[in-house]
Parts: sequence; structure tokens; C-alpha cells
Amino acid sequence: MISPVFAVGELDGLFRWLNELLVSIGLPQPWQDVIMYAALSATVFGLLALIALFLVWWERKIAAHIQQRFGPMRVGWHGWYQTVMDALKLLQKEDIRVATRDKVVFFWAPVICFVAAFSAYVCMPFGRGLIVADLNIGILYIMAVTTFTVISLLMAGWGSNNKYALLGGMRSAAQVISYEVPMVVSLLAVILYVGSLSMVDIVESQSGWFNWFIFRVPFGPIAFVTYTVAAIAEANRTPFDIPEAEQELVAGYNVEYSGMKFAMFFLAEFINMFTVSAIAATVFLGGWNGPWLPSWVWFMGKTLSMVFLLMLVRWTYPRLRVDQLMEFAWKFLVPVTFANLILAGILKYLGYWE
Amino acid sequence: MDLISHIKNLLLGLGIAGKHLGRHAITIQYPEQRYDIPEGSRGIVVLLSDKETGELNCTACELCMRACPTAAIRIDSHRDENKRKVLDQFIVDNALCCFCGLCEEACNFSALKMATKYEFSTLDKDDLTWDVKKLQEVGLDVDYVDTRKKKKPKPAKPVSDKQASTEPAAPAKDNTETAAEEKPPVADETVADKPADTATEAADTPVAEPQPQPATDVTTPTEPTEEKPPPSPEAPTETPVEKAIPKTEDKKEGDQTDASA
Amino acid sequence: MAELRTEEFLVNMGPHHPSTHGVCRLILTMDGEKVVAIEPVIGYLHRAIEKICENRTYPQCTPLMDRFEYVTAMATEHVYALAVEKLAGLEVPERAEYLRVIMVELNRIASHLIFWGVTAMDVGAYTPFLYGLREREDIMDLFEITCGQRLTYNYIRIGGVSKDIPPEFVPKCREFVKMMWSKFSDYEGLLNGNPIFLGRMKDIGVLTPEAAIAYGASGPVLRASGVKYDVRRNDPYSVYDKFDFEIPTQPNGDCYDRFIQRLDEMKESLKIIEQALDNLPEGDIKCKVKPKLKPPEGEVYSRIESARGEMGVYIRSDGTTKPMRVKLRGSSYNHLMLVPEISTDVLIADVVAIFATLDIIMPEVDR
Repeated sequence: MISPVFAVGELDGLFRWLNELLVSIGLPQPWQDVIMYAALSATVFGLLALIALFLVWWERKIAAHIQQRFGPMRVGWHGWYQTVMDALKLLQKEDIRVATRDKVVFFWAPVICFVAAFSAYVCMPFGRGLIVADLNIGILYIMAVTTFTVISLLMAGWGSNNKYALLGGMRSAAQVISYEVPMVVSLLAVILYVGSLSMVDIVESQSGWFNWFIFRVPFGPIAFVTYTVAAIAEANRTPFDIPEAEQELVAGYNVEYSGMKFAMFFLAEFINMFTVSAIAATVFLGGWNGPWLPSWVWFMGKTLSMVFLLMLVRWTYPRLRVDQLMEFAWKFLVPVTFANLILAGILKYLGYWE
Repeated sequence: MDLISHIKNLLLGLGIAGKHLGRHAITIQYPEQRYDIPEGSRGIVVLLSDKETGELNCTACELCMRACPTAAIRIDSHRDENKRKVLDQFIVDNALCCFCGLCEEACNFSALKMATKYEFSTLDKDDLTWDVKKLQEVGLDVDYVDTRKKKKPKPAKPVSDKQASTEPAAPAKDNTETAAEEKPPVADETVADKPADTATEAADTPVAEPQPQPATDVTTPTEPTEEKPPPSPEAPTETPVEKAIPKTEDKKEGDQTDASA
Repeated sequence: MAELRTEEFLVNMGPHHPSTHGVCRLILTMDGEKVVAIEPVIGYLHRAIEKICENRTYPQCTPLMDRFEYVTAMATEHVYALAVEKLAGLEVPERAEYLRVIMVELNRIASHLIFWGVTAMDVGAYTPFLYGLREREDIMDLFEITCGQRLTYNYIRIGGVSKDIPPEFVPKCREFVKMMWSKFSDYEGLLNGNPIFLGRMKDIGVLTPEAAIAYGASGPVLRASGVKYDVRRNDPYSVYDKFDFEIPTQPNGDCYDRFIQRLDEMKESLKIIEQALDNLPEGDIKCKVKPKLKPPEGEVYSRIESARGEMGVYIRSDGTTKPMRVKLRGSSYNHLMLVPEISTDVLIADVVAIFATLDIIMPEVDR
């Protein structure tokens, strides 16, 4: 049994207290675990929901400032809880269901999207010891779970019984599956070097001054760039946001969704963006490693820098066309990442930069 | 090499976007901050009052009504015992108004102006139709240049209706003004009477042209006049109209110099 | 295993769609992502402007002209005023003509700025749109201090212009011109060399000069195909023969060329404005026009170069105060008919780019 280890003062005390309480009331062991994990999940879930709401606000602010506007300003200081209010508004809104929808598929699509986006955080190291479960196949698990998103998008596109949505769903299936390859292969270069799939192992191998993979090894920067490009595509963001290309497909797969179902897609999109940034921070930028500051500050700082980069790109570049997108993935990114992987293998074999 | 120049261009774009990130916003927070509306901006139509007496400048000459391309203005008036026109009602339908400013230019008496006000949103479309009271009230604090004749109106002398009809616009204004002073506008003649009034007395009105309402496809209260008024009154009124033309021009020139000063 | 059945399907792009610039409806026959056939459906913005004009006196038609093509309303007023002046035989003072030219050219820049931003937005880059509008606001401010309105100006009247420019106009306008020249580096840096943008625009929707002429294309669309034709040069009206400016053309006629063409034309317009400000004569701004204008019987057609191409007004007068027939020619109508012509073997995303670079504005099509 993998036991959760939380090492931040208050939170850790809280979990210890909960554990002792469960033991003292004499619950059987499996039930203790269930309750402990539920409490953990609730914590991570709450944290991520907050992050997602923050990211929505942040994106709006960044977009506004790039465009010399104010962005949200009304609700709170510089509109800081605008997105909370928006979420509450979406909760209250009527859930419009198309008459011709495929009932089951239409209902489950946002749920799967939401769950897939959140379950990646089971083995995301937020800081030293701040991990729900340090799976030995950590990064593989994250990649596998986030790919579930594509099924939900396809379901949303199909279930809506709308041509725009269908086109969006088909596009997202093609796109996410294509970009999964360069994304995983560019990560593989690092994994090969570390020799472990565990997120904690990857981070710990980068401890020390300038031991981050982006600086340490020659294949690091290339892998980082290819990963970032693939990650933007994976998170369905401009310039690779063709599944929901507003000017072509109105809103793509979520065109028929409204109310809370739409909010689930929307939040999941931002969670995905945070996920890919967190992976980049963990694998290439040294994760929680860093001097002086607490480990989780370093992790959040690096991740949010990545998010910022993604947002800047989002508001600057035009969108690729669907065929150019596929061409770029298969004719450029895949060869480059594979060449990079071979380079990493050779370097590993020769034993340089150990 | 293509790839390098592409990357350079991509970074250049990012740089330009990033450069703007630190700049100050050019938009304003509307209800708190306000845009400075330049003088002469065309906003809501308001009726102007005399700066001294507080009476409306309007003489019910209906020039603005005729100039309006969307028939947003409706004027109801009646004749008092001296056959002078008395303004009963002046209605502007702001929902129809297209803010072209033709009414303002047509007016010879500084009676109405497109003020620099622009906020009149309501929840009810009917609230956009403003009557004379509301128009006067909104126009009270509007500054304007009085281009009317400076001399005070002569004491009301009994003018025979035949004389009045041959006289050009200016005396008619004086008459109506004094009439307005004596007697507040009372709606003693109903709206329904009005078309008949216009049709029969068109020849007597100095500035009125027996032209049918320009906006024939928009429902107006003067719709009945659509049945072509007899062409005969047009000939006699031709003279006063011709006289009114240089007046319009003069007034306009004056306006411009004032605005630019 | 039974053979898979595939079929083409119809997609209604519009009338409510983010990238149809108003209420155009394109019926797309699609084979997957490929567009097999396009059929534009127009008429959703029909306001019967031509018919309403028949019930308005000549001066009253000017505000209507603002609504004909509201992105370059000055040009619409200009062409109408030119037509009525030709019909009534009015001599317009030179100062008025210069003011008209300044306003129309400013409005052309405003329109091209919107084009620049909207085209970028249609291919997915959101930020340029705001930059374009930012500069356009300055132009609107110039218009507001001059004529009191920001969109529907009613400034260029029959016989001249409605008001003289205020004294602060000339320095402000010069300031704007100077500022505008400095903005082009940003504009070009943001998109012109961007490989994604190039990929979306290059060799898409190629319009050959022959097809352009056959379809009656005009303005930047025609010039982007390499045909050096500009009404300002080929049939000078107003005082355009006194200015020194280039007619830029592009070689290929694809979306990218049409995009660059507008940027080039903005620069030429700035040159014209500079010259007009330098040579602005003193004098009257309006000739004497009777309020009850009764042009003699007859018919007239006048044309100008608006931001979108050749814009024309045909008026037939029966000697009364109201025109007997008014016909407006908007170049967007011809350009809309080009969409099916040049959209061969394209994807849905290309249709958006083609539609955007033709700079079609629906009120001009539907009138």
C-alpha cells in the first residue's frame, strides 16, 4: 500500500489527526484507507479547482493587458473572483439539451473530460513530499489518463448531433492522437536518461545547481521545445486549437453545451493546460528543486511561467489549418523527437553528463 | 535558412505582444471614467429655453419636423386668437432618431440642439419617446449660442391674419414668442385636428411648406396629409420659402464660427 | 464487410457565424473537412435603402448613405454628393473638396485597420484586432471633433461639407499621421512574416487577373491580382488629380497579397492626407444649395474608389425634390460572388480566410 506523505506543516498535521481519529474509532483498515484517500482527493480537487479558476482569470487579464485593455475589473480587486462568479452563474443556468442528442454520450462526455483532467494529479509532485501517490509508472500514468480527454471530446462532438461539433470532435481526435506521439517521445528522452518513470525520481535526479534537463544535456532544449509545442496542441490551445476554432467551427465540440456542462469542459481545458505545464516544469525545469524558497513555491513558479508562455503564444499567433497541423506533427515533430531520442540513447550509452 | 527565419519571426511576434503587456490600458472604465465628448458632438436632441425668460425658443415652425429623414420629430400646435402658432407638444422618438443633425441645422430659432448627452437607455421602448417637458428639462443645462434676433420682441400688436401670412419668418417668430409668454401652451386642440389644420391654413403659415411628410413609409401622426395636398398652395408659399433660404445659410455660418472659436 | 458509405453533408455557415462579417450565409457542401461547393445566400441585411431614398428629399438621403456601407461612411456620402452635384450642376468649393479627400482617406485607413484586425482574427490571432481598433479610435476622434459623430457622420453634404474643421484638427491629424507611420513596424512584425500566417494565407484563394476582371472585382482585391486600376487615378474625381501617390499592386492575387495590399494602401492614404493637409486652401466649405433642391430631369452615375473598391451611385431625377430612382453599387457584392469562384479545393478554414481577405461587408451587399 502506498501511503500518502504530506510534509507541509498544517496540512500534514491535519491528515495525521484524521488518521488517528479513524484509528481511534476502530474502523477496519480498508475503510480507513478509503476515507483517507477521499480526504486527499478532496484536497487536491479543491486546490485544482482554485487553480483553474485562477488561470481563467489570469488568462483574461493577460489577454487584456496584451491588448491594452483592463479585463475583468468589477468583482473584487482587479476582478479577482470574477471567475468564481462566472462559475456560479453557469451553475444556475439552464442546462439546454438538444432534442436530437445521443443522450448517454452527450451526458458523459463532460464528465469524462473533467475526470480525466483531474486524475492526472494523482502522481503530480507539487513539492517535496507533496504527492498523492508516487506511482512507479507515474509519467506513463499521467500520459495515459490525459489522453482520455480525446474520447470525451469525440463523444461530445458525436453526442451533440451537430455538424460543427462533429467536425470539432473529429479534429480533436486526429490532433490529440497525433501530438501524443511527439509529446511522449520527447519525454522519453528524459525518461531514458533518468531510467525511471516515477515523477519523484525524475525530479530528484535534477537536484542541484543547473541540473535541470533543459540545461544539463544537449538533447534537453530540443526535447523541451518539441514537448512544449506538442503540449500546446495537447491542451487544445491556439495555435493548435482547431477542435474549437471559433472562426471556423463556432465553438467546435462544445457548441451545444451550456450551463455546468460547458463549465466542466472549460475548467478541464484550463486544468489540462496546467497539467502540461506542470509536466514540463517537472521533467525539464527541475520540478520542485530550487534554492531558498519552499519546494512548492518553486514548482508553482515554474509551472505558472510555462502557463504564461502558453498564454502569450495563445494571444499572439494565428491558428494552423487542420492539414498543416497534421503535417507539422508527422513530418516535423515526430522525426525531430525520434532523432532526439536516439541522441539521448547514444549519450546515455556513452555515459556522458552523468 | 527557412527554419531560422521562421523562428525569428515567431519570436518577433511574441516580442511585440509582450511589449504591449506592460503598457497602460487605453480603454476606460465607463461609468466611473468618462470619455470627453467634444463640443459639437451630436447626441440626444433637446429643446432649448431662452436664457432670460426660461421659455422655450421653439416657434412650432415645423422646419425640423420636415427636415427629419426618419420622422422622429412630431410637433403639435394650434392657433391662438391672433392666429399665432402656439406649441402644444413636441415629441422626439429617440428610437427613430438617427442623429444626423439635420433638424439642428434646419432650425432658425436656436430652438433645438443635439446636445453632447448620450445616456438614455431604458428598459421600456416607450420611455424613449420624449415629450416637450422632458426635452426642455434635459436641455436646461445645455449651453448654446443664441442666433435669434437680439432685440426683444415688440409688444404684441394685433396683426391681421392676412398680413401675417405675407410676412416672412422673423415677425412670425416674434408673435409666437409673445403669445407663448402670455399663455402657456395648452393642448386645447387635439392631435386629430392637426392635419386638417395644416391643410387648410398652409397658405397662411409663413414658413410652413405644404410639402407632405418626407417619411412616407414611416407611420407618423400626419399620415393623413399623405393624400397630396392641393398643389395650389405651393405657389403662394414659394416666396416666403425662398426668403428663408439665405437665413438658413447665415445661421449656419454663424454656428460654425462659434463652434470653432 | 459491407462497404462503408460516405456522403457529403451541408453546413450552414451563417447567417449567425463568427466569421461571416455580418449576416451572410454560406451553404457549404462538405466532404469531411474539404469544401466541395459554396453557395452564398444574401439578403439578411436588406434594408431597402434604395427604395427609401425614393421617398426622401435629396439632402435627407445623405444619412441613409451612411448606412449603406458604414465602415467607410465618408466614401458613401462622397459618392452620393458627387452624383447629386453632377446632376444639379453645383460647383463645390476647393476647400470642401480637400476636406472631403482628407476625411475619405482617413476613413479608408480606418476601414483597412478593421480589415487588418479582422483578418488576423479570422485566422485565429486575436490581438491584432484590438491594435487595429486602437488606431481606428484616433481616427474616430478626429471625425468626432469635426462633424460630431463617430460612425454615421452625415458630414459630406451636397455642395460641400457640413462644418469646417476646428482649428485643432490639423495638428491632431498630423500627429495621427505621424503615429500611424510608426505603427507599421508592429503591424508587419506581428503577422507578415509569421510562418503560421504565411501558411494560412499563401497560395490560398488565388484570384487570377482575368477572373477578377470578369467578375467585376475592383479596389484592393483587383489590385492584389496585379491589375493596376484605381478610380482615383483612372477616372479622377474630386481633387485626386492633384496628389502624388502610388497605386500599389501585388503579383499573385492570393490571400496574402490581398492582406499586404491593404497595408500598402494605408501608406498611400497617409501620403495623400499629408499632401492634402499641406495644401489645404482657405475658402468656403459649401456652395449655395437650396434646401428644396430640385435637380433637373436626367440621370447620372458617379463612382469613387472606396476602401473596398469601386463604389457607384446612379440617380435618376424627375425634376422633383426626391430622386426617382437611386441605385447603389457596392463592390462587396461582386467580391462575394468571387467566393465560390476562388474557393476550389479548399478546407473550411480557407473559406474563412478567403472571405476575410475579400473584405466583404454585408450591408454593402444587401443594401
